[in-house]
Amino acid sequence: MIAAVSGRVDSVNATSFEQELSKAMEGGSSRLVVDCGELSYISSAGLRILLLAVKKTRAQGGGVALCQVQDHVREVLEVSGFTRIMTVRDTVEQAIDSF
Amino acid sequence: MDGPLGFDVGMDEHEPRRVVEVFERFATANGVSDLVVQRFCLALDEILTNVISYGFEKVPEEPRIRVDFGLGDELLEVRIEDNGRSFNPLADAPLPDFTLPVDERPIGGLGIHLAKNLVHDISYRRDKKRNCLTLTQPLQGATGDPNP
Repeated sequence: MIAAVSGRVDSVNATSFEQELSKAMEGGSSRLVVDCGELSYISSAGLRILLLAVKKTRAQGGGVALCQVQDHVREVLEVSGFTRIMTVRDTVEQAIDSF
Repeated sequence: MDGPLGFDVGMDEHEPRRVVEVFERFATANGVSDLVVQRFCLALDEILTNVISYGFEKVPEEPRIRVDFGLGDELLEVRIEDNGRSFNPLADAPLPDFTLPVDERPIGGLGIHLAKNLVHDISYRRDKKRNCLTLTQPLQGATGDPNP
């Protein structure tokens, strides 16, 4: 399953981000690719949702792979230790191939 | 160059985003690099969200939160003051454990860690029943590691 996220994800809209990701995972796929090409900002409220998605998909034998991550967002992922628990690739194709 | 800018912040979950947007305009208009702007925006967002969400639990006083931005030729400074319960994020916030397996990782607790690690320097003092946090960033050579 491929989902795309854009703009800002912070405490104001983290709940709708969570709902959208849940919807994307409803199809039953435990492998989730999140295209972050248009994601300009993510705070810990958004990271929390990504962590929930990792827990959920891993419990089903899958995982989460991010791609096209902008530099600032990548720095946030690294400082948070998230690059240890999810794959980060340059392109959508590479993210899909990472599973 | 704009002078210092300061204002009160309300107890509303939308306030951190408003403050971040004001800061972004202020810093960008004054030529602060995009990297530093982004790091400070996140730190401001995390600290204010924390204060608004938890800082006034069981505190009888009327909440008062204030932010001030200051910018000189060589230093960017952001001050955040609140009259909530005593909380020193540098000492009181638990350190996240990144060695834990995914299913044992706690869902929260990353916000203060991010703020501490993305801003060059943060200092804390408790003064007249207020928490006073000061975030600073030298503006020359402000790229790369925020904590060289």
